[in-house]
Amino acid sequence: MSGHGNHVANSTWMRAVMMAGLILTIGIVGFAVLGVFVAENKHHTWEDEHHHYEDAKDEWTAGVADGSVNGSDHSEPLYIAKEEAHNSEIAAHLSYLTYRVAGVTMLFIAGAYATFIGLGGFLNASKPKGDDHHDDHHDEHEHHGSASPIIFSFGIMVFLWGLPDFIVACKALLDDTVTAELGMLGVSVSGLLIIVIAVSNWWFEDLPFIGHGEQIATSYPFEGDHIRKVGLWVFIMSEIMVFATFFSSYLRMRTEWCTKWAFENSNGGFDGCRSEDDWVLTASDYLRPGGAKLDGFGESVGDFWTLLPGGINTFALIISSYTIVLALKTAKNAKWEAPKGFMGKLMPTRKAAVRNYLIATLMLGSLFIVLKLVEWSHLVAEGFTIGTVQGSIFYIATGAHGLHVFIGLLIMLYLVFKADTVGFDEDNAQGIEYFGLYWHFVDLAWVVIFPAFYLY
Amino acid sequence: MGEHAKLYMGKDIYFWNFIVLMVFTLFELGAVFFETVPGTEIDISRSAVWAILIVVGLVKGYGIAAYFMHLKDEHKWFNITFLFPWIFVALMLWGIGLSNPEGVTGLPSWCTPDWSYATER
Repeated sequence: MSGHGNHVANSTWMRAVMMAGLILTIGIVGFAVLGVFVAENKHHTWEDEHHHYEDAKDEWTAGVADGSVNGSDHSEPLYIAKEEAHNSEIAAHLSYLTYRVAGVTMLFIAGAYATFIGLGGFLNASKPKGDDHHDDHHDEHEHHGSASPIIFSFGIMVFLWGLPDFIVACKALLDDTVTAELGMLGVSVSGLLIIVIAVSNWWFEDLPFIGHGEQIATSYPFEGDHIRKVGLWVFIMSEIMVFATFFSSYLRMRTEWCTKWAFENSNGGFDGCRSEDDWVLTASDYLRPGGAKLDGFGESVGDFWTLLPGGINTFALIISSYTIVLALKTAKNAKWEAPKGFMGKLMPTRKAAVRNYLIATLMLGSLFIVLKLVEWSHLVAEGFTIGTVQGSIFYIATGAHGLHVFIGLLIMLYLVFKADTVGFDEDNAQGIEYFGLYWHFVDLAWVVIFPAFYLY
Repeated sequence: MGEHAKLYMGKDIYFWNFIVLMVFTLFELGAVFFETVPGTEIDISRSAVWAILIVVGLVKGYGIAAYFMHLKDEHKWFNITFLFPWIFVALMLWGIGLSNPEGVTGLPSWCTPDWSYATER
């Protein structure tokens, strides 16, 4: 998409840099409060509970050793005290992880947002004001293709080329025992650089777009439709296939697994699945009430609290789907009037309303990422790692979905910036509409993933 | 979408779609939380939960695709573009029946080839 000669002042781009600073500040404050201050307190509690558990365990072990306690009797007071202390220790550990991971994730997300919007804004603000190639002889509706998507795709290819070493380098930052393989790291970093330049140029071309010059398809069957819209739908078609492979792989394997669900749903089990000893644990066994993962008392660890992050995330995505619909509806409504009362103060103008609906969508999506990683940290702490087949398909499928959410959030960040500067109205609202299609698709994918991986 | 959207009880279709999605999500979670129908002693079986999850998923999926993604108001080629990959999804799900060890004998006949050589093997 081309700006068609409508230039945006460099100072406007500098607002992106200021926005990056604001986002980074929020991230640092969030990290300091949740990830450091609260998490440290929770860590002390965890340590206390750990010592308490160690004492209870020693007492029970001593009792078993001197014969005063029956080691296989789970109604022994010492056994009960030990297991209660163990449960308390696990709860304290998970509580610590909640705040620590939430804080670190907030910092990471804020850093990524700030880098993305700040670097893009800085690169565009630094550009010399180019010559306007559109003189009066050119039709205002003349279409202008953009090379940015192709450069962007090339950047992704280069990045993926060096991805394995990039991952090792990231691990080395977190773990002293890992040595970074620098061989292909330069390649992946070059890929990232190409991506940033392409995205920055893409913005440069799109920001001044106020609705003139949208490319229209001229041939059957999409004659008269916006080419961007058709392209988006073809993209969604390919995305359905991506998620279908995860989903069908999971179902294929799931039909063979001896899960508690399969066992209870069959009369007396089936070959290779005749008793509780044969059960394999899926993510839902840790998360949903009545799952197969048991504590020391034989009670399921899954309850309201373990399913809560997934539940909140489901509602967050649905609400965010609605807020982006509201943003589009508001942008398209030329007769929009400010609501009365508190909402009127929040949204005094149509421009502010669109921006604030987009910010709400951005915050809900960010909440999704934070809760997703908190939930993952709990699962890993309880032993559900990527090292098993059940863990592998769970983390890959939900991780791929989370990546889609995160990429959507980076695009939304730009939409917030555009809504705050140039603004959206009935002429150029298709930017929100086409992004909304992608965002609704991400919601749609979650509608399948959530019941399949969390509830089933 | 726009200012001329038809209203139902003073609210547009997007609002009601949003409400339906929220309520059905609650219903979906409730089906997993309760072992018996609240207020009764009727057990909620695994098969019932499975059926609820599938039906709720279909309703929610339709709500998102038809109203939020506007497919209901789009011309048929956008609908075809959206529905086309589902053919492959169906094929892959059918493949579960084909490749499952119990596929020949353990699954319903409609999702297995029931090749005679496979049963004799």
